[in-house]
Amino acid sequence: MLSYLIRRALQAAVVLLAISATAFALFYAAPSDPAVIACGPKCDATQIAAVRESMGLDEPILAQYADYVRGFVAGRTISDVDGTPIACDAPCLGYSYALHEPVRAAITSRFPVTLSLAGGALAVIVVAGIGAGFVSALRRGRPTDRVLSGLTLLGASVQIYFLGYALQYLLVYRTGWFALPGYTPPGEDLGAWAAGLLLPCLVLGFVNAAMFARLSRAQLLEVMHEGYVRTARGKGLSPLRTHLKYTSRGAAAPLVQLLGLEVGALLGGAFITETVFGLSGVGKLAVDAVVQNDLPTVVGTVLLAAFFVVVFVALADLVVAWLDPRVRLA
Amino acid sequence: MLRMLDVFRRDRTGLVALCVVAFFVLLALAAPLIAALYGKNPTEHYGQNEAGLLSPEGLPVLPNGGMSGDFWFGIEPGLGRDVFTQLLYGIRTSLLVATAAVAVIAVLGVALGVTVGYLGGLADRAFTFVCNVLLAFPTLLLFLALSPIVQTRFVDPGENEPAWMQFTVLVLVFAAFGWVPLAMVLRTTVRSLREREFVEAARAVGASRRHIVLRELLPNVWAPVLVHITIALPGIVTAEAALSFLGVGISEPIPDWGRMIARGSEVFYDDPTYMIFPGVTILLFVLAFNLLGDSVRDALDPRTRR
Repeated sequence: MLSYLIRRALQAAVVLLAISATAFALFYAAPSDPAVIACGPKCDATQIAAVRESMGLDEPILAQYADYVRGFVAGRTISDVDGTPIACDAPCLGYSYALHEPVRAAITSRFPVTLSLAGGALAVIVVAGIGAGFVSALRRGRPTDRVLSGLTLLGASVQIYFLGYALQYLLVYRTGWFALPGYTPPGEDLGAWAAGLLLPCLVLGFVNAAMFARLSRAQLLEVMHEGYVRTARGKGLSPLRTHLKYTSRGAAAPLVQLLGLEVGALLGGAFITETVFGLSGVGKLAVDAVVQNDLPTVVGTVLLAAFFVVVFVALADLVVAWLDPRVRLA
Repeated sequence: MLRMLDVFRRDRTGLVALCVVAFFVLLALAAPLIAALYGKNPTEHYGQNEAGLLSPEGLPVLPNGGMSGDFWFGIEPGLGRDVFTQLLYGIRTSLLVATAAVAVIAVLGVALGVTVGYLGGLADRAFTFVCNVLLAFPTLLLFLALSPIVQTRFVDPGENEPAWMQFTVLVLVFAAFGWVPLAMVLRTTVRSLREREFVEAARAVGASRRHIVLRELLPNVWAPVLVHITIALPGIVTAEAALSFLGVGISEPIPDWGRMIARGSEVFYDDPTYMIFPGVTILLFVLAFNLLGDSVRDALDPRTRR
């Protein structure tokens, strides 16, 4: 297990390094000139040249990337548009000229919103999604299965940008059954925090739960007929205990892997959900950064999202290896 | 092959889904004809040109978003364009981007997946690494961030981007990441195929590598390709709509479902009808494709029969 763990961790680190290089090359080396964007529309050629120099954009791209990585590891000093130095502590993700703050500060101040949203959505996914898949598989072909499969299909087909607005109109605006979506820090008012996030979490969870319901149903149906499950039943174990103890363990691997990917993706920011419900989380930050051409923030949020995906996919692999000895020997 | 068609023919849900998809394609192809018969076009600002259609605030005067015998699905708030023809031409935008992207994805995915699966070794390691890197990228954010960057590379500032270039950019961005899952599936398929007797037999009679890949392996991978295409196409349609919804993507005046939703979200509380039409259309389209995808998979892979 330990050798597997080390191998997997190294692999994740190399992938992350490659991602940071790719993201950097895509956004900094390529087309649009970050200096022009940072300087603003009123700058003339000499001012742009000055900005380019102060931002270090006149250096070769490899040196810029080395600077970026060094800043992440040990911190660095970045100069503002007018040349005033700004200290950026490790892990430094650069400085946003549009927001006038370090990218890391911009992300950390918005992260609680994304974290709350991800947590709520994840609860819906695990309880409703995987739960529905379980019930469907056990009640295969019966009305319960039909209803759940229909709901699942709807969840897999409906778009957040439509469902979100429609429910907001019906449940908030017309009936007032739900509180207006928004974010209140949980330390301030726990009730308002929960009430404001309930609808966004339900919508985000429902749409993503569909995938899990389908996968867990298919997995369970496949494993249910394996020999070892029949043996357990033959030994006189009740159906429920058999499924909880044997079937679910056999069916878990793909679900755990998908869950790892999902958690990573959720923590990177829910771009559409945050836009629809007007929540200012990391996803909204990224969308705004793209619209305003705020490249340091774009690169920072891309790296953050990729980081979470890589880490949680690796964690999921470890769980799978723990569940299934065949994996760690392969 | 015949047996698969037979299985599919007996799947009533699959047939209905296929009909709905075919209906959408037909509507897209016949859009100019239908618009001519209906007597409207998607770009004219009817609400501004004719009095009594829009209120001073720019909202439709008639209830339900201005639905009437003249404007079947109502009129757009503000600009006063016809919703029915906008939706109709919106199918063209979505289908054009999605089919072109899927075509590129299929070619790239098949070429890379089959080649790497057959070669194995170092090529396989490099391929797996590249796939791992590409899969970890937050796709939607990357689409979002890349489209304007690619555009600024080829278009001078202040100049309007021609429509064909907007489409090309979108297709390329979708294809750049879309080939990964298909290629990974095909790599696995080909790895097991290459050990089979018929490939060994071809090798034994001295067939070239080229012959084995093109003539022996390629004809055997169409099933996973077909399944992948039916899954990928609605995904690209919704991703394209999501990009337009978030403010990048196909720009005015080309009709686009995602942009209709974005406009609808601005006036949602005063005129919910304007958003319901594109929202329900996307839902129907994706639903039909998902059902079709399930049926295709069932027909091709007996293990997943429901």
